[in-house]
Amino acid sequence: MWAGVLGILLSASAFARPVSYTGGWTLIQTANRASTAGLLHYSVSHKVSVGVRHEWQRDDDVTLTVIQPTWLAKRWYGHNYQANVYLTGGLGTATDRSFAGLGSDTASFVGVMTDWETRTLFVSYEARFLEQGKLGNHSMHAARVGWAPYTGDTGELHTWLMLEVDHRKHFDNKTTVTPLLRFFKGPALFEAGYNVTDSAPMFNFTYRF
Amino acid sequence: MKNILLILTVTLTSLPVLADDNQKIMDHHDPHEMNHGEMNHGPEHNHGSHEHPTENAKEDVMTMSVPAITTTDDISAALANGGAPVVVDVLGVVCDFCAVAMNKIFGKREEVSALYVDLDKKTLSLVVNKGASLSDQDIENLAKRAGYRIAAIRRDAEALGG
Repeated sequence: MWAGVLGILLSASAFARPVSYTGGWTLIQTANRASTAGLLHYSVSHKVSVGVRHEWQRDDDVTLTVIQPTWLAKRWYGHNYQANVYLTGGLGTATDRSFAGLGSDTASFVGVMTDWETRTLFVSYEARFLEQGKLGNHSMHAARVGWAPYTGDTGELHTWLMLEVDHRKHFDNKTTVTPLLRFFKGPALFEAGYNVTDSAPMFNFTYRF
Repeated sequence: MKNILLILTVTLTSLPVLADDNQKIMDHHDPHEMNHGEMNHGPEHNHGSHEHPTENAKEDVMTMSVPAITTTDDISAALANGGAPVVVDVLGVVCDFCAVAMNKIFGKREEVSALYVDLDKKTLSLVVNKGASLSDQDIENLAKRAGYRIAAIRRDAEALGG
């Protein structure tokens, strides 16, 4: 039960910058149709962060706990935009929490995340390939587009309308669509959406400190 | 899987529309060499079209083509105490996380008595303590630690819009 509660409280997503400023900490939590998970990471530089990720894959009732480094491989700086390519990975343990009692196995994943953002437009893509030994392998692709109806200045509430399409081939509904709202203010980001294909809510939260 | 990652990375790093802007930054070592009359500050530099937060009584001071220091209560007080104004044009500033990063990095410096990140102008306004100094190289390094690049630095009268 507590693993499930922890899973609901913690989660991680690529859509909220996975590397911060040098010396910065970030808590990223996500809950979507597939999992609830979280990542607490520390940025050792503006290009590298190292964190601990805990994830609960609800369908399989498998939990994943890994050390997750992320590398900002490339950032483009424009007068009106920013674009990024991140490479990430994870190594740790996956544990079966179901009645099947399959035990634990070594888990590892690699992933790529890209985004391009202005103050009113947002496009991103991420993919992750997860290996969990006897507990199964999963792949995930997700892409987003977003539009901000107004441009908030520093410290104001920033609001985005977004649409996410994800593909998970181990699900019955392999490709699904999630419209969502993003609210952004200072160091906090909150997202709420609903997967209209799989009838599942989405809640994401990021806090940078 | 490795091939997918490799192809994606190579493709994105070679996109000419993005590489052009990046190259300009890489080639630009002395911020004072930039011709501000030719600098593209983008369409969001029309400051007559919005209001700023009233909490700090922020007020725009604009010149013909380059943004001057953004005054807040803290910045006005620091200037009144004899601090030196500095305006930094920052590239890639698109959200509040950018502002948080620069506030954290620059705010830790003893030389800095007040600062404000202006997303509309894409500038970092600084007041350097009277008698202290913060070189262009220092500012460039600090911006880099925050994850950003700078396009230009203006000081003193130029920073005030004079």
